[in-house]
Amino acid sequence: MFESLPYHALNGLYYGFILFMIAAGLTIVFGVLGVLNLAHGELYALGSFVAFSIVGYLTGLMAEPTGPVTALIFGAVVLAGSLAAAAVLLPVGATLEAAFVRPIYDRDDVYQLLLTYALLLILTDVMKFVWGAKPLDVGVYGELNAIPTTELFGISYPTYNVVVVAVGLVVFGWLVWFFDRTKTGRIVRATAIDREMATAIGVSTDRIFTLVFAMGAFFAGFGGAMVSIGPGSAYLEMGLSPLVLSFVVIVIGGLGSLRGALVGALLVGVSTRVVTPYYPELELAAPFVLMVLVLLVRPEGLYGTWGEIE
Amino acid sequence: MSRARLSTGNLPTVVRVVLVVLGLGVLLAVPDLARVTPLSFATIHKGLLFGLAAVGLNLLLRHTELVSFGHVAFFGTGAYGAAVLATYYEVSSGLVLLAGAVLAATAVALVVGYLVAGHLDIYFALLTLAFNQVLFAFVVQSSFFNSTDGLSVRAGGVDRPSLLGLDQLLVSAGLDPVQAYNYVLYYLTVAILVVMVLVTWKLVNSPFGRALDAIGQDRTRARFIGIPVERYVWIAFTISGIYGGIAGGLFALLQLHVRPEPVLFAFVSGEILFMAILGGVGTLVGPVVGGVILVYLLDLARFYVTYYHALTGIVLLAVVYFLPEGVLGSLPALGAAIDRRRRDPGLVRNDVEAVVSSVRRGVHRAVTTVRILVFGVN
Repeated sequence: MFESLPYHALNGLYYGFILFMIAAGLTIVFGVLGVLNLAHGELYALGSFVAFSIVGYLTGLMAEPTGPVTALIFGAVVLAGSLAAAAVLLPVGATLEAAFVRPIYDRDDVYQLLLTYALLLILTDVMKFVWGAKPLDVGVYGELNAIPTTELFGISYPTYNVVVVAVGLVVFGWLVWFFDRTKTGRIVRATAIDREMATAIGVSTDRIFTLVFAMGAFFAGFGGAMVSIGPGSAYLEMGLSPLVLSFVVIVIGGLGSLRGALVGALLVGVSTRVVTPYYPELELAAPFVLMVLVLLVRPEGLYGTWGEIE
Repeated sequence: MSRARLSTGNLPTVVRVVLVVLGLGVLLAVPDLARVTPLSFATIHKGLLFGLAAVGLNLLLRHTELVSFGHVAFFGTGAYGAAVLATYYEVSSGLVLLAGAVLAATAVALVVGYLVAGHLDIYFALLTLAFNQVLFAFVVQSSFFNSTDGLSVRAGGVDRPSLLGLDQLLVSAGLDPVQAYNYVLYYLTVAILVVMVLVTWKLVNSPFGRALDAIGQDRTRARFIGIPVERYVWIAFTISGIYGGIAGGLFALLQLHVRPEPVLFAFVSGEILFMAILGGVGTLVGPVVGGVILVYLLDLARFYVTYYHALTGIVLLAVVYFLPEGVLGSLPALGAAIDRRRRDPGLVRNDVEAVVSSVRRGVHRAVTTVRILVFGVN
């Protein structure tokens, strides 16, 4: 009964890294701006739709892979396309922050929730207007799996999942490097810890906020792009459940903590995928039960530090 | 939420009485209004029920300043309480079904409230959300609750619940049974709504309500003056859950079938919260108005506009930016503003200029931002 356990655990790892990419965006936006962005799931969906257009166009330009080398080139093009799709989210996020979110920082939490909910609804219809109401599938999943890496490890496992795990690790590494080692990253953290002091030493908090919101949108979009080049398709309602799940992830990890987001995402991903085959009735509840348990024991989350990114 | 907002009611008593009578009149006339206008009776009824749940949520939001993001849990528990009684115990009396709904919701609210009462701010919101989703997941995957297909609220699967025999009375007077049932249920809803609003009014003006205000302003101080904070929050949470239970029970009676998604999913919780804000957090009946408006937008706008989500979004944006006190809460200020402009038409030009310049500023900001992002700082 447990022979397939490693396989489920690997699936959970893949799922966890997807969740991490979404939750990372949510957690840096919350950690710095203090806004719980309900529209985050729609930014993720938007990334998925843009990836459909861009990756679909790019792969349409080239022939299907025939051997390992062409498959690698194909994979590189798909990844570049996903990055380009996520890059589209940068100006989108910046514009949303500057035009809509900025006027309401000093308002009550509920108004920020209401505003981002309104943005969620509007973004849904923007996507419906541009791409239509039908689900769309890029359909490069099979070709991606032609890249031969799986036999090397002794178990047959889709290359695509390996790619996602690798990309997730790179994203985590980049974020840690950005916030730990770069000047901009340190300024962002300083702003997160004390806005007034940051302003006093000459930091433009407006620009930092815009940058962070754009970054959040970027990672949401990148997560969406990674999902839609896989077996998943892009559809209008796709943002809801990752949004709710990434709440769970950042709460388990501790609001505003990147390390927490990674650990939380992997915990949620692996536990749901491992539990589901044996207790299918727990599939939906598992992440929430986990969250309730963590919150009741450690209300600030596993790595909880208020308003400080680390 | 500032205290000042709570005292928007500096209207003279006469005006208030007139408004209350007017509101009641409109409520009672809804079935007739729906007949002569294109308004949908069922949607207004549904809106009132969600509004009732929002009134309960507002008790928590306005006084203890806690944002519950999982309040539909009690709405759903109420609905399922009624449905379980009707399906498995063949209960046909509407009142017994309602009582079952209230009992079920109270029990769940007691448990959840006990566990969340000590938490604050975003943790409170997310913990309530988590309990909501646990309940949702439990119901969706349990065969007792018939998974996503849900349960019927007809005893033995055939008969509508009886409403004190009043519907039978109307039927024998020559009315269509479906119509009779809906009318009686509607007036029952209105009666319960009025009673519950009065209860809320009594509650918030009682020492208990004042204590909740104190807790909302400063927990530490409230504890110092001897208020048992956690226990009071627990009680308030349970009471506000009961509103949801009643509303959910009535909703089950109205729909005659309960499915998990419309009554238990987390996003419906968000909608209930937004109804309260939309209608006016600082007012007593604002959440009811917000409920009717939001249910209308979400349910019916789709028949008139293709992009009804965006329409709802724009309405909510307008509320955030222009009506921070909600639709009902902003009425006095709005009335005063219109009055001033009637006396001095020159002000209107200023308004237009203000709107144009703020749009121009917004666009300029966005352009600058994009430029900075693309070409680096400045």
